[in-house]
Amino acid sequence: MRIERIWKRLWLGVAAIGALIIVSVLVYAVLTAFKAPGEPIGAGASWWPEEFSWGNIPAVFESAPFATYFANSTIVGVSVTVLNVLTCTAAGYSFSKFSYPGRHAAFILVIATLMIPLEVLYVPLYKIVFDLGWTDSFAGLIVPAATSAFGIFLMKQAIDSVPDELLEAAHLDGAGPMRTLVSVIVPSVIGTMSALALFIFMTNWDSHLWPLLVASDDTYRTLPVGLAAMQSNQLGDAGIPIILMAALIAVLPTIVLFLILQKKFVEGISMNAGIK
Amino acid sequence: MTSVLTTAVGSPERRTKGTRRSHIRHMQWAGFLFAVPALALFLVFSVYPSLQVFGLSLFDYSLTSPPEFVGLKNFAYLSQDPRFVEAVGQTVFYAVGTYGVALVLALLLAQVLSEKARGGGVIRLMWFLPLATSWVAAAIIWRVVLHPHGMLNEALGIDVAWLTSSAFARWALVLMSIWKETGFFLILFLAGMSSLPGDVFEAARIDGAGAVRRFWSITLPLLRPITLVCLIMAVLRGVQAFSAQKVLTNGAFGTEVINLFVYKTAFESARMGRASAVAVLMFLVLIAFALIQMRALRRKD
Repeated sequence: MRIERIWKRLWLGVAAIGALIIVSVLVYAVLTAFKAPGEPIGAGASWWPEEFSWGNIPAVFESAPFATYFANSTIVGVSVTVLNVLTCTAAGYSFSKFSYPGRHAAFILVIATLMIPLEVLYVPLYKIVFDLGWTDSFAGLIVPAATSAFGIFLMKQAIDSVPDELLEAAHLDGAGPMRTLVSVIVPSVIGTMSALALFIFMTNWDSHLWPLLVASDDTYRTLPVGLAAMQSNQLGDAGIPIILMAALIAVLPTIVLFLILQKKFVEGISMNAGIK
Repeated sequence: MTSVLTTAVGSPERRTKGTRRSHIRHMQWAGFLFAVPALALFLVFSVYPSLQVFGLSLFDYSLTSPPEFVGLKNFAYLSQDPRFVEAVGQTVFYAVGTYGVALVLALLLAQVLSEKARGGGVIRLMWFLPLATSWVAAAIIWRVVLHPHGMLNEALGIDVAWLTSSAFARWALVLMSIWKETGFFLILFLAGMSSLPGDVFEAARIDGAGAVRRFWSITLPLLRPITLVCLIMAVLRGVQAFSAQKVLTNGAFGTEVINLFVYKTAFESARMGRASAVAVLMFLVLIAFALIQMRALRRKD
């Protein structure tokens, strides 16, 4: 028993050392992002900046249309998230609480597409969006990502667990399907909805390949595309602190969101993804 | 999550569960309307391109010129293109290296961190953090870490050209991706472990089974469904690899993965048909994986 406890401590210690290595990469990035442009980043140089160069933050916004990238990512991320939560909750409700011919087939079709990542389809998808005239537009960035098989599955699972008695009661009170959705279903599955929202927002904030194809113009570039362009335009080592600062500012929203909502997120994944 | 999904669709108890949705029965078609937005989007942006990719793979075309039917020529070309063969090999190397290590690490970490211990929450959170950094930002951070005078070389006191040599670039990408991805699987394994029955472990402990024994004969078998979910997620994420390779090496030094190859073929060389042929092959491989996985799950039931 006592030996087991010592082992447990030991393994926890190993996990802690691993965690420190993980985080040290981020700390190193933050420290380097505050170095004055041109200050040596290695070869015996200190990891700690000689002087914290706060000017790097405005420099990020001056060296590229970074504010536009940021605004675009926010517009696209929020729109995609809201649309996903709406369409997935509605579809989950439809598949869970109604029976109409073809319902089962439709759900299976949705589930089947889970195995096919968008990445496999982007050539024909690009052709569709190109034919629609949606390249270099918000529509091209938002509409193809406006629903997700994963989200529909997640919401159906959650709504399955809402007892039918509650729906009966709403019906007796004279509520139609829409009222029932808003006043019974949504309050019961709001936790899963927020987990889904966080998941979709983070995934979309990370999305690189699709926006790279759709948005060739700076006006519609999102952060990943803009950052990648900034980093390939950057000349030599002198620009490293600026581009690093840009990368850190770009991940700040998702890090903060994740830190605030991580408990909910982890619960949402484990309770409702059917991982049992 | 995919594997659980497929069983959920087929499992009888789920189907019977719906029989009590009596009261809105007369509104069946109103209920269908709720699925219309999602289904419409699916048909246009998922089902239709899935079908179209097969057709496109038989043509030679760029977006600007009219398509020309070439039959299976695109596939024949690919089978003889050393760059394509190398990209397939590189994808397998990257996926196995990254996800092999990340899965084992995540499983062991979940075992250590699933029990309540002081500091456990903070350690977990630290492992989750890379998950919240986007791939492109992470790649930029790692460009500095892997710089000839960057953190890695300085910390280890070595002088390795991580990103500019064929011997090391592929390993550098695997290393970075392990850093990025372990937290994702840690979440899934922790979720799986939190639902394991505690009394079984208690009984085993009383019977004198040590920690290692309990891990092998109880935890692992019970975690089989979630392990399958993780495996399939690993395959999907491995296939999707793109950003790190694009930003760190742009596919140079033997790091060109399939997705980057498709991107360059379709949008830099304007060979949309040939790129579609690669997509068709990926499609078929993924379907095969899905079928294997469904069988593995059915056997369990």
